[in-house]
Amino acid sequence: MGEIIFYALAAVTLGTALLTIFSRNPIHSALSLVVCFFSIAGHYLLLNAQFLAIVHIIVYSGAIMILMLFTIMLMNLNKDDESHKPIAAKIAATIAFCLVGLVLLAGLLRTKPVVESYYYSGEDFQSIKVLGKVLLNEYMVPFEFASVLLLVAMIGAVLISKKDKEKSLK
Amino acid sequence: MNTLIAIAVLGVIVLLAEIFNLRKAIIPVTLAGLIATLGLTVTEFGVTESHYNNMIKVNNFTVAFSSLFIVLTIFLIALSADFYQERASKISDFVSIKLFLLAGSVSMVSFGNLAMFFLGIEVLSIALYILAGSDRLNVKSNEAGMKYFLMGSFASGIILFGIALVYGAVGSFDMDMIYEASNSATTVDWFYIGVSMITVGMLFKIATVPFHFWAPDVYEGAPTLTTATMSTLAKVTAMATFFKLNMAMNGNMKFEYELVIVIVSIASMTVGNIMALRQNNIKRMLAFSGISHAGFMVMALLNLQNATGSLFYYTAAYGLAGIAAFTVVIYVCKGKDNENIENFNGLGKRNPLMAGILTASLLSMAGIPIFSGFFAKFFLLNQVLNAGWLVLVIAGVINSMIAVYYYFKVVSAMYTKEATEEPAKVPFEFYIVAVLAIGLNIAIGLFPSALMDLF
Repeated sequence: MGEIIFYALAAVTLGTALLTIFSRNPIHSALSLVVCFFSIAGHYLLLNAQFLAIVHIIVYSGAIMILMLFTIMLMNLNKDDESHKPIAAKIAATIAFCLVGLVLLAGLLRTKPVVESYYYSGEDFQSIKVLGKVLLNEYMVPFEFASVLLLVAMIGAVLISKKDKEKSLK
Repeated sequence: MNTLIAIAVLGVIVLLAEIFNLRKAIIPVTLAGLIATLGLTVTEFGVTESHYNNMIKVNNFTVAFSSLFIVLTIFLIALSADFYQERASKISDFVSIKLFLLAGSVSMVSFGNLAMFFLGIEVLSIALYILAGSDRLNVKSNEAGMKYFLMGSFASGIILFGIALVYGAVGSFDMDMIYEASNSATTVDWFYIGVSMITVGMLFKIATVPFHFWAPDVYEGAPTLTTATMSTLAKVTAMATFFKLNMAMNGNMKFEYELVIVIVSIASMTVGNIMALRQNNIKRMLAFSGISHAGFMVMALLNLQNATGSLFYYTAAYGLAGIAAFTVVIYVCKGKDNENIENFNGLGKRNPLMAGILTASLLSMAGIPIFSGFFAKFFLLNQVLNAGWLVLVIAGVINSMIAVYYYFKVVSAMYTKEATEEPAKVPFEFYIVAVLAIGLNIAIGLFPSALMDLF
């Protein structure tokens, strides 16, 4: 059962990822990316990583995709007249990314081999309950410090969008 | 740990002051608070402890660098009152962002866990992206903010990927565990891929040569006070962090890694200096000079065991000289739409004190004796020589000589050319900041052991 779901999800993931790259219309690209993100969340659920799955849906399928769609609409990229990059740049980019992929694959292939049978120990490692405990005990300081990060981003948004009162009076 | 809490609380107090309409009190209160924090930090000297499951460490390294960052921030905030005069309604935002930036840099040197390191670097970078683009009606500032944001977030992504690989290899974010893993022979290969990716990201933040392309444009476009922050506080922080990361991740540094560092160092010094020769905009020139200084600072990695003192001395000398130089640049270029060297014509007659301070700080950066820049280079090159890299020492000396030329271009404009306009009035705090910064610079030049023997 698990295997069938895995193969179905993998097919959806790969198919929509390819659609994202090859479709001419940016909106279609963005929409297939949403489907791709959802199927990746499905993979996480298969591995029993509930928190990761939910966060992935909230952050990627929700926030980031909305941001991308808005950008496409506001900047009016919704046209097919994408400029052609020089062929040398395309080749260079392809080679560079193939090399990165090769290095990563070579490194990761030497990790533990494929897991062939699932072994259920009964111990709870990664449910949201356990994660919450780790986050608020062991990782309390980073958790709090992340709020400073968000605060800075928020002040920045206000700072950049606030009107210069003095300037407009002149 | 106390330092971090104190700075974050101070940032929140500044935000609250705006609500209660205490705008005039913001800068004095912040300065007083920072001086108190400096005192609090210094009292922790000599203590070695770790807080909250080793998230934050306190030792001589963290205390020394945190104090340096606080001193630099005190100077930068003292300059804010006049610099943001026209935008007084935003002063609390600017000051609090700078305080949080300081909190980020303090956590970047005192982390005991990679999670704290990454959060620190993100707080620092995001604060800088905002400050770089904060002059939103100016196209150049927009360009600077956008460029820095796109490239910087890409570099952060690479660092994060590196951290993930290191975690995959070690199974922990804890620096002690990572140190053990880097010394063990059984460490898996992708640990080193992770270390390389973190190195790439950090070299970007310091702006060394293959990753320096953002620096001149961003430095030129950003408001001058932000440029001062980037070239002093941010650069020094990134360098100290990179050094600390290397102490943990490169327990037995491979020869190939050393070779990469040597090449990066030589390339940064050479490219930075040669490009600086052709610049007519002083902010661009200082950007390229910053790239060449980054090349010098990276040298400290070749002698990880002994170079801590020399690196601290170098960063202090460079930071203080940078503050003094930028104070004068802010004064001279105030109200002008460019920062060309012609603006400095005749400054020697118009305002001898400011001209003298700029001369002194540029001489310190060039490495002329009495000023601490000379001793900083001397100690660092000495460490490199002990590590056995004679080539690098020769390259460093040649580059110091090239650097003198473009620094003197500004000095000769100040003293030999005729002034084109009437002198502007210098705000009181500019004198204090400039004199104090250059005074400290000369003082540590006269008593180098005061900083060198801290470690």
